[in-house]
Amino acid sequence: MLFGKECRRILTSLTFIIYCFVVGLFFVSQYIEENKGDPYIPDEKISEDHDVIMNGAVGNLANEYLANNYICYPYGFYKSVRLNEDDSQKVEECLLEVTGLTHDELMDIRDSGEHYYVEHGLQETMYYEIGELPVSDTITYERFCELMGQVDDILGGGSSYKVEDLVVTYSYVPMTEEDREAVISDLYEKDRVAGGYARLFSDYVGIDLGIMPVFVAAALVSADRRKRVSDLIYTRKISSLKLIFTRYAALVTMMFIPVILCMIAAAIQLIKYFDFNDLALYRMFTLPTFWLLPQLMIVTAVAMIVTEVFSSGIAILLQFAWWFSSIMASGAKLSGSISKFDLVCRHNTVFGRDEFMLSRNDFIFNRIFFFIAAIVITAITAYVYELKRGGRFHGIRLFGKDSIFRHKA
Amino acid sequence: MVREIFHVILFGGDKMEKKIEIKNVSKFYGRKQALFDIDLTIGQGMFGLLGRNGAGKTTLMKTLAALHRKKGGEITVCGVPIEKAKEIRAMTGYLPQDFSMYPSMKTDEALDYLGALSGIPKAERKKRVTALLRKVNLIEHRHKKVKELSGGMKRRLGIAQALIHDPTVLIVDEPTAGLDPEERIRFRNLLCEVAEERIVILSTHIVGDIEATCENIAIMDEGKILWKGTVEQLIENARGHIFTSNVEKRFMPQIKKEYIVTGMLSQNDYTTVRIVSDSEPDLPNTVLTEPDLEGAYMYCLHSSGCDVKGGEE
Repeated sequence: MLFGKECRRILTSLTFIIYCFVVGLFFVSQYIEENKGDPYIPDEKISEDHDVIMNGAVGNLANEYLANNYICYPYGFYKSVRLNEDDSQKVEECLLEVTGLTHDELMDIRDSGEHYYVEHGLQETMYYEIGELPVSDTITYERFCELMGQVDDILGGGSSYKVEDLVVTYSYVPMTEEDREAVISDLYEKDRVAGGYARLFSDYVGIDLGIMPVFVAAALVSADRRKRVSDLIYTRKISSLKLIFTRYAALVTMMFIPVILCMIAAAIQLIKYFDFNDLALYRMFTLPTFWLLPQLMIVTAVAMIVTEVFSSGIAILLQFAWWFSSIMASGAKLSGSISKFDLVCRHNTVFGRDEFMLSRNDFIFNRIFFFIAAIVITAITAYVYELKRGGRFHGIRLFGKDSIFRHKA
Repeated sequence: MVREIFHVILFGGDKMEKKIEIKNVSKFYGRKQALFDIDLTIGQGMFGLLGRNGAGKTTLMKTLAALHRKKGGEITVCGVPIEKAKEIRAMTGYLPQDFSMYPSMKTDEALDYLGALSGIPKAERKKRVTALLRKVNLIEHRHKKVKELSGGMKRRLGIAQALIHDPTVLIVDEPTAGLDPEERIRFRNLLCEVAEERIVILSTHIVGDIEATCENIAIMDEGKILWKGTVEQLIENARGHIFTSNVEKRFMPQIKKEYIVTGMLSQNDYTTVRIVSDSEPDLPNTVLTEPDLEGAYMYCLHSSGCDVKGGEE
């Protein structure tokens, strides 16, 4: 069977061995070693209390407004934003509406406190100690969200006032003893322990699967060209659709096997540290499969099409850029907020089930979207392959004598 | 088998004529024209395509193997238009000029893999792999990795892979380049064997290969067919234009400049030279000689207006 032969080719390739090694090493060092014994319980929790969120956001906004220095993470990258007078005025209007203060009252608060300086690179920024600001009695949470959305727009996006992130950014409150007990209780009762660890497992392994598959896929796809076998394969009877999908299925299967082995190891570790009766072990397999398989599929599919189209290792650069921006975008908030198009979904804690469930719909959409996109991209790859084998397309060369950037006389 | 019997019952006898028809075919690489109005009919048996490097042979071979798209004209392979790539692939075996296979695969594995890509069922594939490895004398090396095979062995593996799906047409592009004489002879014999029941197109710039294997040939240069016919006709064309002279060695540089020299044999201070010329060369001891294929080929190029510098250094 061709599928088996393709699997065998992958199994004997050096890049696949390196892939297994990296996935295994990362899993052992980050997950296995860090989860020996009782789980670490965080000091804070998400409250979802609107007052807490509004107070937190208003305090931060006032601080940043008065300093005219807003810390943003557009596309995951740190950026210090300083507004011009007009935009600053618009932010002030939002702030005044949320607090119910007048301009003069705000300035009085500013002037009544101490100030201090913080270095941002080569620049120094003056901040004011303004204490806690009031939130207007008349403002609704919906209006507050609307205003925060406007502020985020003015700042160019990526700020801490992004409506979707307000809860996970500003609703943290210290945990009480009851909270700690509730967290433990949630882990045992709602997550049946394995659910919580499955999320953490997926978080760690997902980082690997955002980048590592590109090496194996690009190596396999480019092997025909590198080993000058393309013409031999092109002249075979097999249809391009069947060949490409068989190779794709072999890649995904082979690269998912180490992930399954990691799941088994994680499950064994759970059995070691927890009472077997408290565990719903199947969750250690179902959630990571739903979480990680579409990610592996989309990374593999993108690597295949880019390698076919560009006939070079450009797929690795592109994937690195995508992976890096996705990691950076979620870097500020390691848990709780998964958006519809995040490649790498993060939830770096065993706890926080409720927090995770807030993004559940987006998470499900995200994974199904990538699953379907991967299939579609693979079908397009098969079409590109058919064009190439019939001499109707020869790939886009970015480098060398056939480069598209080279001047043609 | 059942299909063939059914075909015979319905349509009688030979279900399709084994021939390739090429009519007015042209091909461009960007703006550069690589093939000019190629017209050829290739029947069953060995057919030789002879030409210098860069003559367009590989382009024509790849076009026939449905690897390249032609710009104009028509090609039918056993009645199937070349545009029906899937059918063409099913009936064509192709040995590319620079045959290469995944180096870490074992010899039998490589054949089996390519057989699987040709859609041959597993049981049938197993039989064919063994039979073909035996035929190309690689059965004892079946467990060797491809990278461990010698150049000649690789070329024989190449012909085996091209035959794995029992194609009606076999296209072999420069198969003997770089082989030692023994391997070359072995390879030619192998080609002649497989040509008994199919169309085999042998593209080469080595005249000896054509001489030893083909009856029908075409000569290509700069993307055009210069000549087509039988080997005998080509030789006959050159009759009266191949001469032998016995000249002093010191005159050789000048002779090479003025004439197309196809052979030299030195003895003491004299050299016997074989010359292609429209008329008898004005040299001492010149005699008209029986033409050979190499001389006939050179004469064909020369008489077609090609820039032939047979002996010039």
